[in-house]
Amino acid sequence: MTTPVSRRGFLHMVGAMGGSTAVYQAALGMGLVPAVAKADRPDIAALGPRRGKKVVILGAGISGLTAAYELSRKGYQVQILEASHRAGGRNMTLRSGDIIDESGYPQVCRFDKDPDLYFNAGPARIPGHHTALLGYCKELGVQLTPFINDNRNAWVQDDAMFGGKPIRNREYITDTRGFVAELLAKSLKPEQMLAPFTRADYTQLLDYVRQFGELDATFKYRGSARAGYMTHDYTSPEKLKQPMDPVEMMRSGFVNLMSFGEAEDQSAMMMEPVGGMDRVVAGFMAKVGSLVKTHAQVHSIKVRDGGVDVTWKQGEKLQTLQADYCLTCIPMHLLAGVENNFPREYSDGFTQVPRGKLFKIGLQMKERFWEREAIYGGISWTMQDIMQIWYPSHGIHRQKGVVLGAYTFSDDAGEKFSRMTPPERIKLAIAQGEKIHPGYASYVENGVSISWHRMNHMLGCAAQWSEPLWERWFKRLQAPVGNHYLIGDQVSFHPGWQEGAIHSAFHAIADIDKRVRVETPQLVAS
Amino acid sequence: MNWRSVRAAVALGLALATLSAAAESLDLTYCITCHGADGNGNPAIRAPKIAGMEPWYIKRQLDAFAAGTRGVSPADTAGHEMQPVAVRLKEAGITDRAIAFVGTFDAKAPVATVTGDATRGKTLYVACAACHGAKGEGNASLSAPALAERSDWYLVTQLKNYASGVRGSDPTDAPSAQMRAVAQSLTDNAAIDDVVAYINTLH
Repeated sequence: MTTPVSRRGFLHMVGAMGGSTAVYQAALGMGLVPAVAKADRPDIAALGPRRGKKVVILGAGISGLTAAYELSRKGYQVQILEASHRAGGRNMTLRSGDIIDESGYPQVCRFDKDPDLYFNAGPARIPGHHTALLGYCKELGVQLTPFINDNRNAWVQDDAMFGGKPIRNREYITDTRGFVAELLAKSLKPEQMLAPFTRADYTQLLDYVRQFGELDATFKYRGSARAGYMTHDYTSPEKLKQPMDPVEMMRSGFVNLMSFGEAEDQSAMMMEPVGGMDRVVAGFMAKVGSLVKTHAQVHSIKVRDGGVDVTWKQGEKLQTLQADYCLTCIPMHLLAGVENNFPREYSDGFTQVPRGKLFKIGLQMKERFWEREAIYGGISWTMQDIMQIWYPSHGIHRQKGVVLGAYTFSDDAGEKFSRMTPPERIKLAIAQGEKIHPGYASYVENGVSISWHRMNHMLGCAAQWSEPLWERWFKRLQAPVGNHYLIGDQVSFHPGWQEGAIHSAFHAIADIDKRVRVETPQLVAS
Repeated sequence: MNWRSVRAAVALGLALATLSAAAESLDLTYCITCHGADGNGNPAIRAPKIAGMEPWYIKRQLDAFAAGTRGVSPADTAGHEMQPVAVRLKEAGITDRAIAFVGTFDAKAPVATVTGDATRGKTLYVACAACHGAKGEGNASLSAPALAERSDWYLVTQLKNYASGVRGSDPTDAPSAQMRAVAQSLTDNAAIDDVVAYINTLH
């Protein structure tokens, strides 16, 4: 196989990373989620001042922080235990001096100290319909700026086409559409059209096809301004580029990626927080930071009547905390190693959903050379291991920038990079980037790599759900065991997105609220 | 900056990183991040139970990982997650401290996950018993670790690794080479499951 992206891989990626609409539709079909468009932030009943309910939250990822914020401001006594040295979970922005706590290969980020020189190692973009997250950004004062995701000026590179020479994304899209439209126009015959298509509809359809591929009056594709002009002189007649060989383009694995930027979660309008995605974490921490204990590693979780006991270690010291409710956003694959008294029909699920192995590289470039190539933000795609190069949407026209130098989706590519030492990873990313931008190596000043399945206290990226797993395990893992709730993007139909994490918290705290109102109405403030 | 200087810069960066991250990453509680509470194992991430393992055996394995005679094969994905960790333990001179830390763990009997024919396994186990003991209790003088009450799925993985040469191919590691020969005598995956199903009955 010459391409790193199989059709299956792409579908997985769409489910796990991109628009999960397809997965969501499948879930709707299975009756797993109600067909209601939007779940609002639950209206938690405030508790009276006398004796609040005690809630322990395991993990200071986005779901844990959401639950802590919502419950604490309604009178619940909240404690968050976080095993690592920082809050945020996979929401992690790397800046000068930051530690990348990878098991076996710890690194320190060596970017220059500069507000624009940072790397979003986890989530990096927010689509306009992620209303819960955007609502928190507004409420917590997280300033947002447009994020450029899809860029037709960026490159597409595949050794399987044009001898590995990169072409502009707009050339690939335009010329293949022209080719397909011409084929379709040639083969469409009015007599093939069955009712309810009328003769007039047929003409209209041909117009659609002509417009789709920008065909000429005789339904031939002879190039299009959409693919770009040969020169940009502006004072002499403009000359179209010659259409590229469609046979070569059809050979590329890029056919599985060309619609990436059209997915619901990937298309404009996308946003990013000014200064890094972890401004979201900082916003939550400004409200609940005093409730978070870091370096607090959970040792055991014991569900009992009316509550949950959690034993945790800070250094050598073992401590026990008795809570009325426990919300856990520890990744399931790590929870499997925590001592517990969960029923097997529940905890067996922890080992069933494979952990994601996504991998990213960030490179500090001494010059924003891509802007000289008319690229401002967006993604170049390559069928090499690195798969993507992202250009920063922020800091435009400044001297330096941090480029995403690799972002792999497949387990194989993630493993390949993870087996290398950090310097070897950077070297490979540079060598592969060279095929897209000749001279690439000469701009690289330093780099960081994030192998999510090797990051301490996470050891995995988004849970890799698949249809049989949703069907077998999702409802079970979403439902509480006694007063213990599993949360996190791992318990959502949107794994890999903060919006999924937030909604998993909503789901759990709404249930707690319902139970508290019924079981202990005397605690609810009148 | 040419490639070589990029590499040098990156290597320098890593060296600095190693120094300043030292305080953070030498924290031995990382053992239980992967190997679970009290090192009783986590099958979800293929981290075996290490609680109750003989100190001499842990040392030999940590040395093998650190030397790159174990955990470097591309076919040994889980092994490579351990390999650089062992290198760091060695570089920091705390391998012995780590082994002592494992010695403080409260070992629990692992949950059986392998289904095989224990009766057939008992017959096959004769070949194992010579070194590992009739009750899977191990024999340090023969460099044979205990097999009873280990993670059963891990025993299966290692038998397959030995049989395929992922483990035991290093000529300087005689006990592993010997183990490889024995593993190859288990003719198929069913035989491996059977013998491990029998080991599950040993205490």
